[in-house]
Amino acid sequence: MRDDLAAADRRFEVREAARGWQRAGAIDEATRAKIDAAYPDDRSRLGEIFRVLVFGFTLVVLLSALGILGLMVASAGDKAAFLFFLCGIGLAALTEAQIGAFRRRQGGTEAATAFLAVLLVIGASLWLYYQGLRPRDELAINAALVLAVVVLGAAGYRWGYALFVGLATVAAFVLLARAPFGRLLCAIVPLALTPFVLRASDSSDLAPSHRRSCEAIAVVALVFVYLAVHLASWDLGILEVLTGHWREASGAPRPFRPFFAVATALVPVLTLAWGIRSRRRLLINLGLVGLLASIVTLRVYVHVAPLWLALIVGGGAAIGLALLLQRYLDSGAGRERGGFTAEPVFTEPEGRSALELAASAASFAPAPRPVQQPGFQGGGGRSGGGGATGNY
Amino acid sequence: MLTRKQTALFGRVARGGLVSVRLELRALLYGGVLAVMGGVGLLVQQNLDRIGPVAIASVLWLGALGTLVWALRHAPPFSWGESTSSHLAFDYILLLGVLLTGAALAYTEGQFTPLGPAWSHHLLVISLFAGVLAVRGDSRMVASISLTTFAAWCGVAASPFGRAFWDFGSAEGPLRRNAIVTGLLFVGLGYALIRNGKKAHFEPLAAHLGWLLVLAAILSGIGARRGAGAAFQLGLLVVGAGLAFFSFRAGRFGLFGMGLVAAYIGLSALVVSGIRDEFLGFSWFTCTGVAVLATLLLAHKNIKARS
Repeated sequence: MRDDLAAADRRFEVREAARGWQRAGAIDEATRAKIDAAYPDDRSRLGEIFRVLVFGFTLVVLLSALGILGLMVASAGDKAAFLFFLCGIGLAALTEAQIGAFRRRQGGTEAATAFLAVLLVIGASLWLYYQGLRPRDELAINAALVLAVVVLGAAGYRWGYALFVGLATVAAFVLLARAPFGRLLCAIVPLALTPFVLRASDSSDLAPSHRRSCEAIAVVALVFVYLAVHLASWDLGILEVLTGHWREASGAPRPFRPFFAVATALVPVLTLAWGIRSRRRLLINLGLVGLLASIVTLRVYVHVAPLWLALIVGGGAAIGLALLLQRYLDSGAGRERGGFTAEPVFTEPEGRSALELAASAASFAPAPRPVQQPGFQGGGGRSGGGGATGNY
Repeated sequence: MLTRKQTALFGRVARGGLVSVRLELRALLYGGVLAVMGGVGLLVQQNLDRIGPVAIASVLWLGALGTLVWALRHAPPFSWGESTSSHLAFDYILLLGVLLTGAALAYTEGQFTPLGPAWSHHLLVISLFAGVLAVRGDSRMVASISLTTFAAWCGVAASPFGRAFWDFGSAEGPLRRNAIVTGLLFVGLGYALIRNGKKAHFEPLAAHLGWLLVLAAILSGIGARRGAGAAFQLGLLVVGAGLAFFSFRAGRFGLFGMGLVAAYIGLSALVVSGIRDEFLGFSWFTCTGVAVLATLLLAHKNIKARS
């Protein structure tokens, strides 16, 4: 990663933290201004909405330009693949120029060129490889995965995109799962790797974007551990589907089924416990999501109660647990216990995010009443109307 | 720059010595409401014969009453301005109460038909009920339920997960008209809230949902045959451009983005529908894309200079 970019990322983190402190009323405007002056931002950044728009329209421009190129070289065969490879290299150079000379960061355009550069380099390289050497399918898939690990990893490291690093990690673990004893390797290697990358994610020697990349690796690694031992993943052959070996999926070996059943429950619980012990929200969230997945798995394998009852009891339990936890944390000295608090810490006190509102409107909106054309004289219309069927 | 006390506190938070789990607790509450309502839906559908309508209706009404009583006991003092409850779960329990009331009313109407042929008016009743509670409890989440239920009463589904509102069936014209009128009503409601200084912070919700309905209703017609399609394309261009222009001037970038994308789709549909050559089609998107990008970057520069 470029030194100037790493330094800019660090300054940006400080400025963002100061913004949160001021919003929470922990510092005044004068102090915030002093912090901003001490940590100036030399990058050209856009707000979230502008960034999404610019990213989208840059993709429109580049993809249609590539469409024109595709029409021009449609009959060129191998040369077309080479041309697209060169385009990928060109876009990578353009990303470098934007991040370097033009000092762009969170500007939309550089993310779009980086995204297409990676896509073109991987796609065109595979095209050239396949046309040139006509490898067996197995070899071609392995080559694609190796290429994805190298290109995405290098791009993620160089430009500081945690998403690229996360995707490179997925490709690396899929490659690992394709090896002999793939499931075993997928359980052991990520488990050994996670403590190191989590420790690295705390290191102040790394740039903030590299720290986030380490967190992305940890998330992917733990998801693969869970997939490797999950009972339904064995029975449905989820890992085998990912690796392209779905025909080999044969379910969990019978003598080990109790072990995998216990592991399915234990992995999220241990992740949650690790998160609570180390006070890492990332692990806590991952543990909670895993726990939900394990409860759903339990309901699939063991019909303890009808689904409606399980949902009502489960939902009620979740609400009750949240209320109890809040009361427990609030009753501690300084409204905190063991380093955890239910109070907002330097965030907007009760800001309802647009995402939450959109989700509420989308998931709880009732079914509309039927609208008839003028002159239509139908006699029906009651069934299913207005949530009467229970889908309110 | 910072006092010793501030440095100690900020350092503790930065090192992970103090962690807020507020977001996780909120997610737990939201997931809980979602699961309970999913279970209630299945209960109503699957257990009518076994449990009986009176028992199911009683359980739903009791559940609704219990949650609403809890919510009202924890409600913040009433104010026409912002008055957020200090209790983390308030919004979610109020939401659950409103949803259970809706389910209970819909179920009662479905089984005992007190409203007769006017059965669909229970949606209007619930919309108004949710609106009143949203204002009383200062809950934007419940206000969103009030608006989407009102839209449902008008025959328009505001949820992408349900029957999409562009799935018109045989009632294309009336439903599209309903969607546009409902959308404009929401925009007007938002304007009235700001103008009267009453719950003005609900305005963005009403405005965004309103414009989304208007633009989506027009967008749904751009594939129509002959002149009708062109009229909708032109309509989308004009309405989108207008929305983008005025929103930009007002510094409302969410609406600006919505309007810009709608206007671009309208203009591109108008032009590309007349182009038969692929090369010209790609060239159109390349050139206009560059123009839009340049406009966006200049607009951002202008905003930065203004601020």
